[in-house]
Amino acid sequence: MTVKNEQEAEKSEEWEPKIIAFLCNWCSYAGADLAGVSRIQYPPNIRIVRVPCSGRVNPYFIVKSLTDGWDGVVVSGCHPGDCHYLTGNLVARRRFAILKELLEFFGIEPGRVNFMWASAAEGERFAVLIRKATKIVKELGPNKKFEKKW
Amino acid sequence: MSFEPKLLGFLCNWCSYAGADLAGVSRIQYPPNMRVIRVMCSGRVDPKFLIQALELGIDGVYVMGCHIGDCHYLEGNYEALRKFDMTKKLLSFVGLDNRIRLDWVSASEGVRFGEVVSKFVEDIRALGPSPLSRDNPDQELLKKVKAINMAAGTKRLRALVGRQRKITEEENVYGEKVPEEEFNELLDTALKEEYDRQRILLALARDSKSVKDLAVELSLEPSLVLEHMLTLKGRSQVDFQEIIGNTPLFMRI
Amino acid sequence: MEKVGAVMVVGAGIGGSQASLDLADSGYKVYLIESTTSIGGVMAQLDKTFPTNDCAMCIVSPKLVETGRHQNIDLSINCKIQEVSGEAGNFTVKVLKKSLFINQDKCTGCGVCGKECPVEAIDIFNEGLAKYAATSVRYPQAVPLVYAINKDYCIGCGICAGVCKAKAVEYDLEDEEVDLNVGAIILSPGFDEYVPPKANLYGYGKYKNVVTSIEFERILSASGPYAGRVLRPSDGDVPEKVAFLQCIGSRDFSGSGNPYCSSVCCMYTAKEAVIAHEHMHQIKPTIFSMDVRAYGKDFDKYIIRAQEEYGVQYIRSRISSIQEVPETNDLRIRYETEDGKVKEEIFQMVVLAVGFNPPNDAKYLAEKFGIELNEYNFAKTDIFNPVQTSKPGIFACGAFSSPKDIPDTVTQASAAAGCVNQLLYDEKGTLITEKSLPPEIFVNGQPPRIGVFICHCGINIGGFVDVPEVTRYAKTLPNVVLSDRNLYTCSADTQTIIKNMVKEYHLNRVIVASCTPRTHEPLFQETIREAGLNRYLFQMANIRDQCSWVHMNEPEAATEKAKDLVRMAVNKARKIQPIDRIKLSVTPKALVVGGGISGMAAALNFASQEYETYLVEKQDKLGGFANNIYHTLEGGDVQAFITDLIKKIESHEFIHVYKEAEIENIDGYIGNFKTSIIYGKNKEKAEFEHGVVIVATGAKEYQPNEYLYGQNDLVILQSELEKILNTSDDIKKKKSIVMIQCVGSRNDEHPYCSKMCCAEAIKNALLAKEKNPDVEITVLFRDIRTYGFKEKYYRKAREAGVIFIQYDENDPPKINVEDSELRVEVKTARHDTINIKSDWLVLSAGIYAIREENEDLAKMLKVPLNDDNFFLEAHVKLRPVDFATEGVFVAGIAHCPKTIEDSIAQANAAVSRACTILSKEEIEAEGKTAQIDMSRCIGCGMCIENCAYNAIELIDDRRFGRVAYINQALCKGCGACSGNCRCAAIDILGFTGEQIFSMITGRVS
Repeated sequence: MTVKNEQEAEKSEEWEPKIIAFLCNWCSYAGADLAGVSRIQYPPNIRIVRVPCSGRVNPYFIVKSLTDGWDGVVVSGCHPGDCHYLTGNLVARRRFAILKELLEFFGIEPGRVNFMWASAAEGERFAVLIRKATKIVKELGPNKKFEKKW
Repeated sequence: MSFEPKLLGFLCNWCSYAGADLAGVSRIQYPPNMRVIRVMCSGRVDPKFLIQALELGIDGVYVMGCHIGDCHYLEGNYEALRKFDMTKKLLSFVGLDNRIRLDWVSASEGVRFGEVVSKFVEDIRALGPSPLSRDNPDQELLKKVKAINMAAGTKRLRALVGRQRKITEEENVYGEKVPEEEFNELLDTALKEEYDRQRILLALARDSKSVKDLAVELSLEPSLVLEHMLTLKGRSQVDFQEIIGNTPLFMRI
Repeated sequence: MEKVGAVMVVGAGIGGSQASLDLADSGYKVYLIESTTSIGGVMAQLDKTFPTNDCAMCIVSPKLVETGRHQNIDLSINCKIQEVSGEAGNFTVKVLKKSLFINQDKCTGCGVCGKECPVEAIDIFNEGLAKYAATSVRYPQAVPLVYAINKDYCIGCGICAGVCKAKAVEYDLEDEEVDLNVGAIILSPGFDEYVPPKANLYGYGKYKNVVTSIEFERILSASGPYAGRVLRPSDGDVPEKVAFLQCIGSRDFSGSGNPYCSSVCCMYTAKEAVIAHEHMHQIKPTIFSMDVRAYGKDFDKYIIRAQEEYGVQYIRSRISSIQEVPETNDLRIRYETEDGKVKEEIFQMVVLAVGFNPPNDAKYLAEKFGIELNEYNFAKTDIFNPVQTSKPGIFACGAFSSPKDIPDTVTQASAAAGCVNQLLYDEKGTLITEKSLPPEIFVNGQPPRIGVFICHCGINIGGFVDVPEVTRYAKTLPNVVLSDRNLYTCSADTQTIIKNMVKEYHLNRVIVASCTPRTHEPLFQETIREAGLNRYLFQMANIRDQCSWVHMNEPEAATEKAKDLVRMAVNKARKIQPIDRIKLSVTPKALVVGGGISGMAAALNFASQEYETYLVEKQDKLGGFANNIYHTLEGGDVQAFITDLIKKIESHEFIHVYKEAEIENIDGYIGNFKTSIIYGKNKEKAEFEHGVVIVATGAKEYQPNEYLYGQNDLVILQSELEKILNTSDDIKKKKSIVMIQCVGSRNDEHPYCSKMCCAEAIKNALLAKEKNPDVEITVLFRDIRTYGFKEKYYRKAREAGVIFIQYDENDPPKINVEDSELRVEVKTARHDTINIKSDWLVLSAGIYAIREENEDLAKMLKVPLNDDNFFLEAHVKLRPVDFATEGVFVAGIAHCPKTIEDSIAQANAAVSRACTILSKEEIEAEGKTAQIDMSRCIGCGMCIENCAYNAIELIDDRRFGRVAYINQALCKGCGACSGNCRCAAIDILGFTGEQIFSMITGRVS
């Protein structure tokens, strides 16, 4: 095997995390679209689930994602004050502040679940945040906390 | 020992190459400095061929084709002329434009072939060795020629040159003719812009730099560098990296 | 002449879009004519909006998408008005639709042509800061998303036609002329910003780091050329000290600028300074201004926050010179401080707060439409109705009639629509077409049969994602009976294919994997509905905007991702069910609370459209505070106006007036309210049903306890002075009058500006001077806020000899009484103390709202109040007369202090908004709403707290006891309640837990 092939082999074996992203329809989903329209590149590890509002994201969605083997979770809504539904993101913020602590208490690494804001005009910011989140999750390694041992 | 230029010639198969053959059959003597590459038509000669040759230290490049109107492929030499002009303009940014030459030599002009080659050898000898010659190439200049080479490969310049004849001599898609001067003005701007942009990309090849650093390095106006940076960013070729103090650094993607 | 049930709206900025939506929703056919190639106007260029720092694009783009897709709105871009004939009720307008050279019906907006265009030309949208090609769309989120060829730059090389896979480029497309027959016309062409001339004092165009405010807005914008980084144009560095210069081209009597005040610059400058600092903390903004005109709702608070939280420094000065420092490109500003010293300071960047000019084609439009312009070339409007032009049937809104901000523009847009309603109400619904649709196929209980359509989008998806592979893969997924791929799934012929496939394969779920549902979901939903499927049996996988375009360098990973996204969509599709939107009947009657000018204007508008209207007034007479006002600053005769208005109201057959009335109770919701009141001397009871409510309760004049008011007879209020001036000649005996501004405004107790007092003081001062030219009048002020065209009167007052002295808010004037003589002592900015003998001390008392009074009504209507006890609208920028609670609207001073004209505009706007409801026999509620499982609900009430729309209440159910009940009419489906429900009793249709879980587990392939 040539050196180049070895490198390629190594690269293909490099572990890539799978991350699920819950994006609110009005800001973050639109921001993700804008990243696309502006052709801003970011890692292909995320799978996006559209929800009407970050307030729709039930904590159980996040827990279920982790137990189902997703390596990371991203929840992104409108900036505080920008919510299409007036206060949905504030409700979400309160909810996730508590959930975050609870998850940490259970031993989920802090970087695995990311909460963020991205507006419809922030295509670039969206890409940057996703890059960051992907990097963190990648460093944390596969999510094995919920792997069945029997 | 006097300087013996190393020259390259691109000769079209049907006229100039045959002309060169005729010179041989007629035993016409001319200096041995030029190595010939046969192409089917002078229109085949890509600007990048000429630039690449200069980049490698060749002292001069000759392009020869059929006389206007005589092209075996009807209009290939018209295209050759446009491409050659663009190449010359690009090379004029670094003063190498006098090291390339375009001429029409027909299959019957064996004598003339000998004459023009002799003249080219003489002229290049007078110019002296290429600053990019093998032993000791001028590194600064080399970078610039590399940028020219890259610029000649950009879609934008190729599109402009490719459609130049159609829209200035015949008619454009609206059935209008774009005046030659107007087009040239546009082309000149495009050439300069693409050249500068490629220089920026080259300068960013190894490490990220700020607009101000680049401006000093490339002796360009900082505001112009910033403008180019935005275009390159739009083309997903550069991106912001980080901000140090009050100065953002750009990196190449 | 026969009236026509269609309306033309000229100019599709935020004002034009709002007017069009209001009218289209009320049943009129709307022709929206735009001169550029996309709608959204200036607002779409903005980064954030004051005073809430809302992201402009986030709030405006859903509205623009709605405008672009509305079936009653016929949007034409790149147009020019040619000729206008006819009169109110029936106009004919000849419109020239200029060719885009790209077929709008075929263009998918993919943008390949722009990327390949070899001619780079300056773009307008980024204000020349970035370069774009001759084929371009104005901004990435443009509506309509079609490209256009800018013929000025195009050289006709033909490359775009070659690369366009949709074959949309048609160079032989010709201009088209159409005649449109409409009943009314609304002009909303907006404004053009003032461009500083080349040889100007500020070095604009000469020094690179001097930019205009609109350029700076693009610099700030996250979607602008610098992607939200604040960089200076000379060298791309972050400027540390940024100077903002106010009143560039405004309040300029020198002749080079405009004499009027542009109204919005003080606020947008504060916003730009705040946002600049927010983007980059090292930026220290300094604002050079004359007066800070923060006269709107919550504006003053914003200025205070800018100073206190963001460190924005205000310097009251007009600078004297500006010079570039050659080596650094920094700028040296020389200015005079308030106390008269000359200072020099270096800044890294300078932003010129440029004012508003009338639109460049104002004269052209005026001539074509036959309307008059005012002295500044803005549209001339009626003194009491700011949207009525000089020609009946033609209305103007937004910045075309005077410089104004977004909420005022939106209000006027609705107001113009309201006035159109008055004119054309009996032609409503005559020209709109309703589609006949096949009955829905019954799919409940049947196993899912899913059809997947995967789009190549030319090369936009196909170039990076292996579409055939994804198609093969989709076929292997459970319940998928058809997997097909198309070059453009959105093209018209593919819609036919989809419809045929639904029939052929008996599909009962359809998935399209292509671009974004935000723009294309409605189109595909329409298609499957036409094929007989319920709209909600549709799913979309976003494999372009969120996959192929963002992973262009990793085709394999992108293909994997596309497969995952399709699988997740399939998983969800297996769980989706048809949703029926519930329909509510509407009682076509209105309740107006408050019989002041706003209330009366609203009631009269309703009534003239033959809607039965109940007008409820607390006092024993109509007119409200306007009874104390004689004239407006501009000379409008208020007394004559309200006398006439009251007469019309009291004699109108459709208006029931209840005086001395108190509201006992309001029940119900949008379309179906029930109100009971007690009214009259005998405390009679009345009850009525109505579909909408307008709150026009007004506010009170502040009764000061400062400056000896109430203790000394020589201390009076402006309103009292007005009465004296208009009813007696007492002024002729007076030698000196002192007026004090901001009494009871802009202090800790009332931290807002009352907006009217400056105009009030100047109005009275001018009248006093007119009656007695010898009287000496001194006005003690903090900032003179004669915004817009009122600036003229400020200047007039100064020319008439009225003296204006600024006082320091921390060191207010002192009143001394000596031998029954009043002496006013005031410290000036230069720290001199002046002592003025005064025959009358006139206090400009502010406006205030009483919490106790407003709170009851607010609770009954479930609408909020702000900190200052004024009613709080649904959205400060784009829904200025709506409440979050549907069917309830606000008008006049109940909303915040405003002028009579603005109150009338707001009243008409509220009516227009209300007519979007009243004009329908029944309204459709949002389909994707929250549903409650009563058997799981424990009645904790948590969801009620989280609902911003007051859609949830606790009820006593016969079987389940105390449980939450969701009013489907009010629910918007955001899901905030569901996410917090501790017993998982609430689910959101269209985004149910089951569906989302299936997407989560979809990862396990």
